[in-house]
Amino acid sequence: MVRMLVADDASFMRMMIREIVEDEGYEIVGEASDGLEAIAMYGELHPDIVTMDIVMPRCSGIDAVRGIINLDPGAAIVMCSALGQDSLITESVKAGAKDFIVKPFRPEAVIETLRLVLEKES
Amino acid sequence: MDLAKYRALFAEEASEHLSEISRSLLELEKQPDSREAIDVILRLAHSIKGMAGTLDYDDVAGRAHAVEDQMQALRKANRAATAAEITGFFESLVGLERAMAAASGDEESRLAADPSARGSEFSMQRSVSGTERCPTAVALARTDESGQERPGLPELELPTPPPTVRVDTAVLDRFLTTVGEVILSANLLRSAAVDVPVSPSFAAGLDRMDHVIGELQRRALDLRTAHLLRIVEPLPRLARELAQQLGKRVEVEIQHGDVELDRSILDRLSEPLVHLIRNAVDHGIESPEERRQRGKDEVGRIAIEASREKDSIRLEVRDDGAGVDLEAVRRRAIEAGMLIPDLAEDLPPAEIAALVFRPGLSTADAISTISGRGVGMDAVRATIEGLGGSVELATDHGKGTTTILTVPMTAAVQRVLLADVWGETVGIPVGRVHSVVEVPGERIENAGGESFVIVDEVPVPVLRLGRATSGESATLVLVAVRDECVALHVERVVGHHQIYVKGVPELLAGVRALAGLTLQGDGRPVFLLDPNQLT
Repeated sequence: MVRMLVADDASFMRMMIREIVEDEGYEIVGEASDGLEAIAMYGELHPDIVTMDIVMPRCSGIDAVRGIINLDPGAAIVMCSALGQDSLITESVKAGAKDFIVKPFRPEAVIETLRLVLEKES
Repeated sequence: MDLAKYRALFAEEASEHLSEISRSLLELEKQPDSREAIDVILRLAHSIKGMAGTLDYDDVAGRAHAVEDQMQALRKANRAATAAEITGFFESLVGLERAMAAASGDEESRLAADPSARGSEFSMQRSVSGTERCPTAVALARTDESGQERPGLPELELPTPPPTVRVDTAVLDRFLTTVGEVILSANLLRSAAVDVPVSPSFAAGLDRMDHVIGELQRRALDLRTAHLLRIVEPLPRLARELAQQLGKRVEVEIQHGDVELDRSILDRLSEPLVHLIRNAVDHGIESPEERRQRGKDEVGRIAIEASREKDSIRLEVRDDGAGVDLEAVRRRAIEAGMLIPDLAEDLPPAEIAALVFRPGLSTADAISTISGRGVGMDAVRATIEGLGGSVELATDHGKGTTTILTVPMTAAVQRVLLADVWGETVGIPVGRVHSVVEVPGERIENAGGESFVIVDEVPVPVLRLGRATSGESATLVLVAVRDECVALHVERVVGHHQIYVKGVPELLAGVRALAGLTLQGDGRPVFLLDPNQLT
């Protein structure tokens, strides 16, 4: 089973991602509501994949990507962004994110992106 | 994917975000170059946009996006926001709030048409099989996308229920009433057990029951409490909007909004507080020019400060406005026939200030013309006293006014002094009792149809509640009624008790002096008196 960490400041979004991926047999091992929490939880849980919101309090998703890559250069992180955040996505990929999904989420697109990233990693 | 259960979650999360945006905008107004406030608004608007987009609330998403753009532009410009911009931001926020309300309204009507969709409230319901399940899970399992029943399918469990449950307040109130009944029944049982010999194990059982019920009572009271912030949170915005209409500038500061008090009290405090804020902005705070001339900052300040005092909460609403012209109040009171001119001269300022709460003086045309306040202050006092609290006003002409509201933290449990009156037992809130004195009957004097007694060299009006006791000694309970002391003449003081107050039954609702009811150990009722209504 794929172990996954979800980082998003909206519990609404976390719940929605959870429902989308759990139907596909993923296991959510942790939910972080800001960037700092995401880094700490990554270090503790070592999930197979992370979905990371970009705009979060305390520490942004991009800074969290840097923090996680620092801990584990091979970390599989997928950014969640809203339309029109191209420059932030570019910055995230430079920081080490593997791919991105765009809100509003389409479940098929989320699953497909996660699958591709995991395939590349293995 | 079934989005129904996300809608309520969205409404809840987005409304928290909106409150925070509002707070941050007020912050930005105070500190127009606050990068932090801009960042918070930007992030929250972005979050609302993301959620709204997912649920196809296009209007909400669009408006959140607009707020985000405004913040983004300000951030890029790297300068302080102008007053005009901030007004524009508030307008955008109002638009966003309206769009949210419309979206929630659509949701409500949708739910009304299809109650089975009301899943995300996570209220506990019993499913057919008798086990407790989340109704969402039941609804998911039994209905297909068009909402048709699919009876043959097994029930699904929702993966992880959230750590909180949302409960209808009516359900909570019924539960709390039942807890009250349990406490009363236990008291009945306990006093019945006094009259019969009981075995040690029975006595131990009673002790244990008392202990558990005490715990139940504490937990139930916890459930009834909520943060003061819940009702004071909107006040800074309200003050700002009102000030803008009047061409004034006002900032409201809230201190210790995290104090907790009984929901039933909290709900009734909202209106008086709104009233006080309106009065402060309308009649207290001066126009910017006037303030400048008086050497004050152009921005008027209003502070709402809460503090806890034993069993009550003290709320101070302070402004640094014009204050009340007590001389004008004195004149007005004499004109209205409330004061005898000769006596009025010697009245201390505090007593003149208290006149503002009198109905005749607190009408708009009577007082808004004199500098100060008073519109509807009698209503404020009536509400606060109805809660068993008190209200005071202190003012310094030219410098500002402070209104102090004191209300009990809970309405449900009260410590009362029990007294016999005409064969019934009445309860008088201990918080209101000064002292109990026994005086020889002849010390109660009659003058002009009214009775009074001299206590500590001061005449105190006597109100006879019990039977006449000529010649013998009289038991007087001295209670505080507003700023005065009143002696309640009772037949006998029985003791004091902590009681769980039940509401007054409808049949007795017209009796204004009755604040509540409880049952004694033997099942007889105790009538809880409201001293304010006795005089």
